[in-house]
Parts: sequence; C-alpha cells; structure tokens
Amino acid sequence: MQKARIIVGLGSCGIASGGRKVYEQLQQGIASRGLDLTLEETGCIGMCYNEVLVDVVIAAGTTTYKQVTPEMADRILDEHIVEGRIIQEWTVTEEDEKCLNRQQRIVLRNCGKISPESIDEYIEQGGYRAIERVAKEMSPEMVIDEITRSGLRGRGGAGFPTGVKWGFANKSAGDKKYFICNADEGDPGAFMDRSVLEGDPHSVIEGMLIGGYAIGANHGYIYVRAEYPLAIKRLKIAIEQAKARGFIGQNIFESGFSFELEIKEGAGAFVCGEETALIASIEGSRGMPRLRPPFPAISGLYGKPTNINNVETLANIPWIIFNGAGKYASFGTEKSKGTKVFALAGKIQRGGLVEVPMGMSLREVIFDIGGGTSGKHEFKAVQLGGPSGGCIPSSLLDTPVDYDSISQTGAIMGSGGMVVMDNTTCMVDIARFFLNFTQNESCGKCTFCRIGTRRMLEILERIVAGKGVDGDIELLEELAENIRRTSLCGLGQTAPNPVLTTLKYFRDEYEAHIKQRRCSAKACKELISFAIIDERCKGCGLCIKVCPTGAITGEKKKLHVLDADKCVRCGQCVAKCRLEAIIRVDRW
Amino acid sequence: MVKVTIDTQEYMVDESGTILDAARSNGIDIPTLCHDEQLEPFGSCWLCVVEVEGERRPLVPACATKIREGMVITTKSELILNARRLCLELLLSDHYGDCLPPCQAACPAGVRVKDYIDLIRDGKYQEAVEVIKENNPLPAVCGRVCVRPCELACRRNLVDEPVAIDFLKRFVADLEMGDSLQSTVYSPQSMDGKRVALVGAGPASLSCAYYLAGMGYGCTIFEALPEAGGMLRYGIPEYRLPKDVLDKEIASICGHGVEIRCNTALGRDFSIDSLMNDGFEAVFVGIGAHGSYRLGVDNDGSDGVLSAVDFLRDMGLNKEIKLKGRVAVIGGGNSAIDAARTSLRLGADEVMLVYRRSRAEMPANEIEINEAEHEGIKYHFLTAPVRVIAENNRVQGIECIKMELGEPDASGRRAPVPVQGSEFTIDVETVIAAIGQFPETACLAGEQDVQLGRGKTIVVANNMAVGRAGVFAAGDAVSGASTAIEAIAGGKRAALAIDQYLRGEVSSEKLLKEFNVSKGSLDEVDRGEFEGIEKQARVKMPELEITERLKGFDEVELGLSQTDASLEADRCLKCGCNAVDKCYLRSYGIEYGVSLDKFKDGKVHHYLIDNSNPAILRDPNKCIRCGRCVRICLEIKGIGALGFVNRGFETTIEPTFGKPLAETGCDSCGKCAASCPTGALEFSQV
Ligand SMILES: Cc1cc2nc3c(=O)[nH]c(=O)nc-3n(C[C@H](O)[C@H](O)[C@H](O)COP(=O)(O)O)c2cc1C
Ligand code: SF4
Ligand code: SF4
Ligand code: SF4
Repeated sequence: MQKARIIVGLGSCGIASGGRKVYEQLQQGIASRGLDLTLEETGCIGMCYNEVLVDVVIAAGTTTYKQVTPEMADRILDEHIVEGRIIQEWTVTEEDEKCLNRQQRIVLRNCGKISPESIDEYIEQGGYRAIERVAKEMSPEMVIDEITRSGLRGRGGAGFPTGVKWGFANKSAGDKKYFICNADEGDPGAFMDRSVLEGDPHSVIEGMLIGGYAIGANHGYIYVRAEYPLAIKRLKIAIEQAKARGFIGQNIFESGFSFELEIKEGAGAFVCGEETALIASIEGSRGMPRLRPPFPAISGLYGKPTNINNVETLANIPWIIFNGAGKYASFGTEKSKGTKVFALAGKIQRGGLVEVPMGMSLREVIFDIGGGTSGKHEFKAVQLGGPSGGCIPSSLLDTPVDYDSISQTGAIMGSGGMVVMDNTTCMVDIARFFLNFTQNESCGKCTFCRIGTRRMLEILERIVAGKGVDGDIELLEELAENIRRTSLCGLGQTAPNPVLTTLKYFRDEYEAHIKQRRCSAKACKELISFAIIDERCKGCGLCIKVCPTGAITGEKKKLHVLDADKCVRCGQCVAKCRLEAIIRVDRW
Repeated sequence: MVKVTIDTQEYMVDESGTILDAARSNGIDIPTLCHDEQLEPFGSCWLCVVEVEGERRPLVPACATKIREGMVITTKSELILNARRLCLELLLSDHYGDCLPPCQAACPAGVRVKDYIDLIRDGKYQEAVEVIKENNPLPAVCGRVCVRPCELACRRNLVDEPVAIDFLKRFVADLEMGDSLQSTVYSPQSMDGKRVALVGAGPASLSCAYYLAGMGYGCTIFEALPEAGGMLRYGIPEYRLPKDVLDKEIASICGHGVEIRCNTALGRDFSIDSLMNDGFEAVFVGIGAHGSYRLGVDNDGSDGVLSAVDFLRDMGLNKEIKLKGRVAVIGGGNSAIDAARTSLRLGADEVMLVYRRSRAEMPANEIEINEAEHEGIKYHFLTAPVRVIAENNRVQGIECIKMELGEPDASGRRAPVPVQGSEFTIDVETVIAAIGQFPETACLAGEQDVQLGRGKTIVVANNMAVGRAGVFAAGDAVSGASTAIEAIAGGKRAALAIDQYLRGEVSSEKLLKEFNVSKGSLDEVDRGEFEGIEKQARVKMPELEITERLKGFDEVELGLSQTDASLEADRCLKCGCNAVDKCYLRSYGIEYGVSLDKFKDGKVHHYLIDNSNPAILRDPNKCIRCGRCVRICLEIKGIGALGFVNRGFETTIEPTFGKPLAETGCDSCGKCAASCPTGALEFSQV
C-alpha cells in the first residue's frame, strides 16, 4: 500500500500566506505523532485566494484543505490521518472545484500537482518524453511544422506565431545560435511565469530543449528577474537534475544534439523584458531596446541568430509535441489557439491564476470562474494586459478572450493580467496609476516615451487633484497618439493605452473631474469629503482610534462628529466603521 | 539604384541607403537630432518621421528605414509636422537654459548686450558701437535715458548688483560722438529710388528711417515742431539728455541719407494721400503721444495748473518760464519726476510730488526717484488730489485725500481707495499734472483706414501695418506713452515690415520676437549656479554736485572713465548659450514654430554644470539624450567615457561611474562636443 502523503502549496502565493509555517507545523506534528507519511511541497495551483492549500492523499482519495493555518495542522493530522475523518468545513468547496474544472490546464498541467523539485514526478507525468521523441524521431523542420500547425502564438505579449518565429531562426545562417527564455515578467500583476517556474520548471526546460533542437541552437539562457528567488532556486535544481539525467549536455538521447543552459538574473527593469533590451542586458550593456531590423533571428545575442520565447509559450511546447498539434488546435478560436493563463486580481472574489481555452468570454472568466466582484459593489471594468493594456467596460464583457477580439477593444492580451475594478475605482486614477508605472520604466531613449509620458502623467495628476483645465483631454489625446506612433519599442507604443481606453469608455469621468471637480467613484482624495450619517453612528469610537489627525471626536455611545478641516481623507475611518456610518461625499 | 517616390517626385537612389540618405542626397531636408553620419542609426529623437505608403506604422523614422524599390514616401504632411513639432516641444519642455543672454532677451530692441560688453572689455569700442547700432541707432541717447529693462533682468543681480549696462553703452557711444572713433562707413544699396515718408521725428521714426536708409530707401521725415527728436527733445529735460548729444545723434542718422523737414505738420501741411501722390511708396506714422489728460477735478483749468507735457515742451522750445513759490506735481511716472526736477531748477521754492499709490508702485525709474529725492523733492505717497483751490481763477492750493491700497486691479497693481475724512490741503502756486498721455490724433481726422483703439492709440497688426496698404505705425502713437527703447524697437520692426512690403513679400517670422528659451525670471533661476561667483561692486557714475545741479540744466551724470568701463565690462557673466548659433534644437524650434509654454507647468530638471574638463563644458540641463556623445565616445573612440543612467524622465547622460568628466577615460578629443546637437557639450571658451 502506498504511503499517505501530505502536499503543501508552496508557490510564492502559498509562502506569502504562511505556507512555510504550516509546513513546519505539519513536520513537527508528524514527528511527534510518529506518523509514517511523506510531506511534500508543490507549486501554485491557481486558487491563490485559498492559499495555504494542503492536499491529503490517502488510499481513500485526495482531499484539499483551503486557507490552512498552522493552528489547523494538528487537527488535520489527528482527525484525518489518524482517525480517517475528513474535516468537511475546511475543504475546498464544490464551487472551488467547479472553477478548477471549467479551466483547461495545459500550461499549468503539473502546477500544484507535482513536486517542482522532483524530476521523477515530472517524468511520471510524461516529462522529457517529448524531447525524446523530437530528438529520436523528428527533424527540426518537422518540429517547426508541428508547432506551426498547433497555432501557438507567443504568450509574451505580442502574440507572434511561435512556429514561424522558429522557422526564421532555423533558416538564419550562423555558426552559433542562441535560444533564450524570457522570464523577466515585469508586468505588475502578472505572475503566471513565476508560477510555472516555481511549480513546473522542467516543462520550461523541456520546451527550450525542443526549441533549441528546432532552430539549431546549442546554447540557452533563461533570463529571469532577480526578484524571483524561489523560481531561480527551483530552476537551478531542475537544471542540475536534467543534466544528471543527460537531458541537458552533450549528445542528448544520442541524437547528436547538444544543449547548454544558463540562468541570467535580470536587474528587474520592466523594459528588460523587451527582447532587444534583454539581449543587451545579457551582453552586459544597459537594457535599452534597439531598432529592429535586424531582428534577433538574424542578429541577436552577440550578433548571432537568436530566438526568444516567453515562459508560458515554452511550457506549452512539450504538451503539443506529446499530444499533437491537432489536439492543441482543438482548443481556442480560429486565430488564437490553445489556452491562456490569466492572473485574476483586483476586486475579485476568487483571485489567482486561471487557465482557460481561448475564446471564453470575459464574463465567464470573471464571473463564472472568478466569482465576480469581491465586495458588494458593482463590476465596472477590467484592465487587461497591465500597464500596456486597457480598461474594458462592463458593456463589453461578452468579448471573447483571444488576441484579435481583445485588441479591438483597445486593450491587449499582453501577458494576461486581469485586474477587476468595481465602481469604487476611479478610471482617471487607474489610468494615472498605470501611466506612472510605464513612465518610470521607460528606458529613456525615445523623446516621446521619456518626456511625453511624463507630461501625460502630470496632466492626469492635475485632473485627479481637481486642477484639470479645459483642453487637458485634447492634450492627452494628442500626446497619446503621438507617443503610440513614435516610440521605438512596445513599452512606448502601448504606454498610452490605459489613458486611451479610459478616455474611450469613461470620458465622462474625465470631464466630471475637470468641469465639476467631481469623482463619481469617490476615490480621488482632493475631490471628496467624509461625512458621518447621524442615524447610523452608534458612537462606538472605532473611527476615533484610527483617525491619524484627531479629526473625529465624540463621547462613547454618543454621536461622533468629523471636522472636515482636520480630516486628511485617508479613508481609514470608513474602512473601520462597521455600520457604514461614515461616507464619502463630493467636496465641491 | 532603385526608383522611389518622395513627395510625389520620382528619384533613382542608391539602394543601400535609408530614406534619410535618399532624401538628403536629393536636396530634400528631413530634420534629425540623434542622427550622426559617423554612427549607426539609433532612433531615439523621432524627429525624422516620415510616412511610407503601405507601412504598418503610420510614421517611420527616416534615419533607420532602409530604402526599397517603389517606396512612396511623404516627408511633409499634417501628421508629420504635428509629430515633429510636438517632439520639439517635449524636448524644449525639459530644457533648462538661456538661449540669449537675459539682458538681450529683456531689451525690447534685442540689442546684443553681452556681445558689446565683451567688445568693450577687449577695448574694441568701434565694434561695440556697431553691434549696438544693429538694433539701436541712438546709443548716446539711450545710454542716458533708457529705463534699462536689461539691468532688471541681468543675472548679476543674483550675485551682487546688475552690470551697469547702460553706462557702458553711453561710454562707447560718447567716444564715437566725440570723434575718437571712426563713424561707421555707410554705403547704402540702392532700392531703385523707392522712397518712404515718416511722420514725426521722434525715436520711432528716427529708428525706422535709419534702418530703411541702411537698406537703401530714400527717407524723408516730416516734423510738426521746429526741431527733430520728439519727446527726446520736448519731453526729456536737458540735465538728463543734453541737446547737443541729441543733435549729434540725429545728425549722424541724417548723415546716412535721411532728410528731416521740420515745421511741417500732418493734417495741416500734408496728408497721407498727398505723400503717396508725391511718390512716397510707404508711409510711417510715428506721431508719438503728446496729448495729456487733465486732472479731472474742480478748477483744473485755473491759471497755474499746467500739464507736464506742455511744461516740458515749452522748456524744449526754449520759452521763458518763471516758476516761483511752491509746486505740486501730480503723478508717479518719469514725466512727473522730470517736471518736478525741472521745476526745482527753474527756481521753485519747494517741489512736491503727489502720488496716489506707494513708492513701490511708482512707474518711474528707481534711480530717477532717488535722484529727485536727493535733490530735495518731497513725496506725498498714497495721496490724491480732490480739488484745486483757486481764487480769481488763480491756483492757491490743492485739496488732497489720503489713500490706502486695496485689491489688485486689472494691471495687477493694488488699486488705491480713498480714506474717508482724511482730506487735507497743500498750499501751492503751481500744479503740474503728469497723469497720463495719449496720441494727438486730430491730425489723422481726415485719414481713412487708420483705426484708433484704447487711449486713442493707432491699431496695428503684428507687422506694424495700419489698415491702409503701405501705411505703418509704431512708437507711442501705437503703444501709448512708453519708453524710448520701445519706440526704437517698434521703428526697426516697422522698417523690416516696410521693406518686406516694398519687396512684395509676405510678412515673416523675422518680425516676431526672437526665439528664446529662458531659465526664467530672476526668482525662477537656480541660485546655486551663482554661489561661487566673487562679488565685485558695480561702478558708480560720477555725478554733478547737488549745488551745481540746481543752478541750471547741466548734465547730472558725467560718464564713465575708460578704466571704470573696463572694470565694469569685466563684471559681465557672459550669460546665454554659446551654442546659440549652431543648436539644432533651436533652429528646428524656430522652423517648426513651436510653442515654448505648451507644457509650462511640467517638471524641468536642474543639474549641476560640469566644468571639470578644461576643454569641454558639460551642461546636462541642455541635453536632449540623443546619445550621440555616448555612441561617438564608445563606437569611434572606444573609450566610453559617457553613458546613459537612470530610467524614465530621470534618464541622463553622465560620465562613467558618475564622476566628473575630467576623471574618466576622456582624452578631451572633443568629438562629443562637435557632434552634440545642442549646447549640452561645448568646447570651453577660454
Ligand atoms: C516593454 C516590454 C516588456 C516586455 N516584457 C516581457 C516579459 O516580461 N516577458 C516576456 O516573455 N516578454 C516580454 N516582452 C515581449 C518580448 O519582447 C518578446 O516579444 C517575447 O519575449 C517573445 O516571446 P513570445 O514570442 O514567446 O511571446 C516585452 C516587450 C516589451 C516591449
Ligand atoms: S519606447 Fe520607451 S522604453 Fe522603448 S526604446 Fe523608446 S524610450 Fe525606451
Ligand atoms: S551678466 Fe552680462 S550677459 Fe548676463 S544678463 Fe548681465 S549683462 Fe547680460
Ligand atoms: S550631451 Fe550627448 S546626449 Fe546630450 S544632447 Fe549632447 S550629444 Fe546628445
């Protein structure tokens, strides 16, 4: 009989939720009880809102506990392991399961299921079987043809057909070629690449091996941001393991194909994710994009033909080889095949990673899988594609998630960040937030991107501060259009998207800020005041305690009063008051 | 070779080049900033954008786009020009520098102050006068009476006191007049005998005629009064501007072929029509502002109530004027001070100046205000007349009321309001009103298409043209009572416009104020820049003793010695940008008609200037991050002394490891400075 196993979710999200403590508590508990079972760790399964997740696998079946704390560990051991009784109230609900089942997990196939630090578990799932087949049975052209037929498009943002890209690099003449995995993942709010690297590093390595074989590269780099220490650690382990098994090195599967693989840690600039900047960064220069052509396939790293793919793109590769291009292409839409991983965040009930077939509607992703907005406020918009993307309003919720439909809204698929906003979010402020990010991250090369985004930001700042003037919207548009047209790389070309889409769908909010100094979301500090509703206040005093400036006064059990002159509009009292007795009102 | 179409014209061009190469080799200009022929295309400034038919992107960089057979390229379109203009406006919005020295920028006539001070320091007096006369043909006059906006703007104010610009101007102008310099040799080109008539012989007409004569036009000035000079003669007292100085300067203008006919008045002796009939092809109206407002209180027409304009004109006409007893001058401008100081010299027992605001608000020159006080003039500030007290129509005194300053009015000055019940009386025998002037336009009554605006001033377009073709105007007649230098500036602008008109050209940019990026007013500039500069006192103008002054109308200011002039010239900080004539940002800015205040509220970087390398001056405030220096140093020299640092808006170019340039591998070859399109890297001027 197999030993019982307990598996703790220790992706970055699990760790952030206290996974290590749970793990240690279980470890101690097992030891003190003298239990004979294995304790394992795994990556993120995507239900980040439910972390720490703990799987208990006994002969009778697998049970998943959610939101486990160290305190709960002992009871799980006592009741479930020792007495064989499942603690029903702690397990993931049917709802949760349903969400998981509506997904189509190709990229995340192993995440949260296998131990990322065990090559055997990966191999058990069919790992390294694809490269074996490739090396033994397929020519590079056959591989490229298979990938092309699968319809896979780059998941790094631009959506360029992967097979076509490999074809260019394959045909490009050169004594030496490079294959790079782009794991810079600079888009704030996106963490699918991290999850894959933390949860299933071997799938990416295998994808690179297949790609290297296809284009004729013997040298690979994984460019991963230094802020991902766990991913780097697991990658290193995985590379060592793969080397030990002969999957990396000389004459792989006796096919004559050799491949070396190195990790390069990036300093964490967003723009270093842009392929030419990334190459410059590996070469030791400043991460600054350069003009294309020449494209990396012709002249890339150290002037040699180079192919760059994103982590998620690569994680798809072994699956496609293993299951066939046709199977892959059976998912998705005509022009966007397969699945896409999204990072659901913001005001959403069930935040986390979800992988869905292309073509599913935004509504299904956000409401059916994500459970809709988290609070009692109404859904307003969803920001797709992070700072390069745009805000899609509720009226377009039926848009299918595929490259072309999303582009038509003015947003982009990007890396798959999906930030849900309800009607307490000010759309001008959101645009300001994203633009602030990009303008800081511009490499500073292009006039429009360096100065233009800054000037846009300054205009947005004055609008949210109630100091907007007539003509500001037009000036924003003039800047936005020109920045889009006259920037060298994608960062500048897409930086105005959040502003343009919010202007497109929420122009009235901009106008209200400028003309009436009114923020309909009541989010812009300079445009609101706080007021206490007399009938609701019971004089509990909670607000008095949190107010940093002593703006609220009143005796216990008596009506409290708020001094608007002292109030700095930090909003802490509103958050604290359980009776909703403090509300935001228009200031002007 | 491949065939391409550029701006609808077909060309055969070298197939190995870029769009930029193809255009430039066929004489089609595409502006660039980051491009340098020695280097690979970089694609950072985005000024060179063009449209290419069928391209995925609406605008492509010409410097980096390879030419292809059959390409159809547009180098000028609304889309392109707007993008280029915005590009330049963005670069200029974070460009902290002074194109022009602030003194020059502040001068209405744009006199190249720094340049002539430089020449004075080097003892090149003749050249200095020539530089001044490029923009101001009356340096000896202005060296005495100018209100000196240049000195107000002088950056030396931030160290100690402004450079004595005006004294220096007078110094060289006097040398020239005193024949110690050889007067400018004058050789007018002929403009086919085209003639221009000028009405009024004040500074506006004199200036206009001088420059027109210089361009070869025949100029005749018609003056109603007995002598030329306008307000310079009939408004400014002799102790400030001796008549012989004025005479000589006018004579020098006449020496350039300008004819002046005095005692000939518009509306009486001739009309614009008659001038045109007499063969003048253009007419300049510079009739000044010789009308004056009455006090507007009871008895303001009594004997003993004068207007400053009339009073000073009578002085200029050498009329016998006797003043005795006490005199009250009403007003706070330069005319008021002139009238007061003149009264004192005419023997008045006591002279008072009554002004309704406080000293700080007085429009008169500060030096004048102080000198008057020095000579014994008494000030009644925050005081306004309510009534002239007269007996038998003869002034006995003046009833005044105290005022206080209220809210700022339309002019931005705080408006005085009467304090109820604060009336008091001053006993005086003479009241001189100096409360405002306006053009006397009766002479224009019969003229058509001459429009009058606020304060009876003549309405002109940007190019000083009056409604009627061929008629132009400037000076006080257009601006209302203003300064000599404004009139001189207006006169020159009109001369350029008249030239354009007579050549049949459309009026052009030349007439507009010179393009100038400025660090801002004295309050706005970075003081740190001036901290290390050694203080050195401004020269004192030698002056006539008070007792001597009051005996008559001898000139009060005596002029600088050569030693003082040299010392003073040495105080000049030589502001302005050394690259002003080669800067591409500036020349494109002018060409594309950029607005300098589109992003005026945005952040502007202020960096320290690096002068550690004796050969190369590095002023990051002017850098546009084109990277030419970085690339030249790395790619051509192989040194890499400069590099990009930081990100986003904070991106700068710095010597490696943030050291001063002198401490890097820099070997002072100057290739970077030679390539820099702005004044950010410059050969040091030693
Ligand atoms: C500013 C900027 C940032 C980018 N960041 C990333 C990134 O973090 N990860 C990534 O895979 N691609 C990123 N890209 C896209 C890459 O340039 C490149 O297109 C991608 O790595 C190609 O891989 P794919 O074909 O598999 O998508 C970025 C592009 C830009 C313009
Ligand atoms: S668009 Fe922005 S980030 Fe991209 S190269 Fe230009 S300045 Fe750098
Ligand atoms: S210091 Fe010299 S150049 Fe600078 S403003 Fe004064 S006079 Fe002009
Ligand atoms: S200093 Fe260098 S980067 Fe700056 S404008 Fe001059 S050449 Fe360009």
